[in-house]
Amino acid sequence: MIPDPPLPPECSRVVATSAQIATRVAELGARLAHDGGGDTVRLVTVLRGGVFFLADLCRAMECDVRLDFMAVAQYVPGQGGAVRVTKDLDDDIEGARVVLVEDIVDTGLTVNYVLGLLNARGAASVEVCALFDKPARRIADVPLAYRGFELSDRFLVGYGLDLGGRYRNLPYVAELRDEAVYG
Amino acid sequence: MGNRADTNAQGAAGEALAHPPLDQIEFAHASERVAAEILDYYRIAWQYEPTSFPIQWDGEGNVIAYFTPDFYLSDFDLYIELTTMSQKLVTKKNRKVRRLKELYPEVNIKVFYQKDFRALLARFGVTSEAREHADGGGFVASPDGSESGRLP
Repeated sequence: MIPDPPLPPECSRVVATSAQIATRVAELGARLAHDGGGDTVRLVTVLRGGVFFLADLCRAMECDVRLDFMAVAQYVPGQGGAVRVTKDLDDDIEGARVVLVEDIVDTGLTVNYVLGLLNARGAASVEVCALFDKPARRIADVPLAYRGFELSDRFLVGYGLDLGGRYRNLPYVAELRDEAVYG
Repeated sequence: MGNRADTNAQGAAGEALAHPPLDQIEFAHASERVAAEILDYYRIAWQYEPTSFPIQWDGEGNVIAYFTPDFYLSDFDLYIELTTMSQKLVTKKNRKVRRLKELYPEVNIKVFYQKDFRALLARFGVTSEAREHADGGGFVASPDGSESGRLP
């Protein structure tokens, strides 16, 4: 196994190594495949952070898996407006077993919004699989059917999690120092 | 305490929210307005300071202190209190929140400290600058061109 690269100076410590993540993703994948009972599972993620988890999770599932992607518009302070889909699903999900794959659930607001959309499209079931759960700041009480790790209320980067687009490609998850977050 | 502002929003995707324009709501701090904008963005129904809970009485049973959480989210039966001021005020507010929970255990409340909220904004791709207590506290948010594009 390739050792994890050193921490960037902006990070204080690793909270989940690549090996720990790989082990947990394998467990989640096995559970998802087992619970599917042989049915096709449609994994949906919201771009961009969930891509890393989705890629590893689907390869840990020994069943028929289909992938699809959504993207939502960015909130801009002072401009008002409402969240909207900027990249919709490519496939029809009516009657399908859908699993929304999330890298992290924090406030739950994005998941709550996307779940509302997916549930309105006639899927047989829609469940959430989150690799990282930060319940401390949860606003929308969304049900997590599958959960990898519960994490402390710190600012995390790596394995898809970013700050301004940076750090997503770290193979582990690390805490970012306060000065890097708040200046 | 700001003006009470009711909303009839259902919180469903694509539905318009019904509450006065944010400019007509007397938010105590700029950060509360940012929070209201984010809730609107996600189509979450909210009320600003709709309830004042009595938390202290004098010897004759008269209410001498209230606690008024900043937002009530009917979709989740949840009150939210944003704490954006000095540590001294945070301690005082924490005491009030503890008292609220003792007296009204059925009330769900979540406190967001300035650091919590700024971290959420940072994840969202929004930079923020804390303001001094003398300038009204809270913080000012501004876009920074981040790639993030969504609130976790």
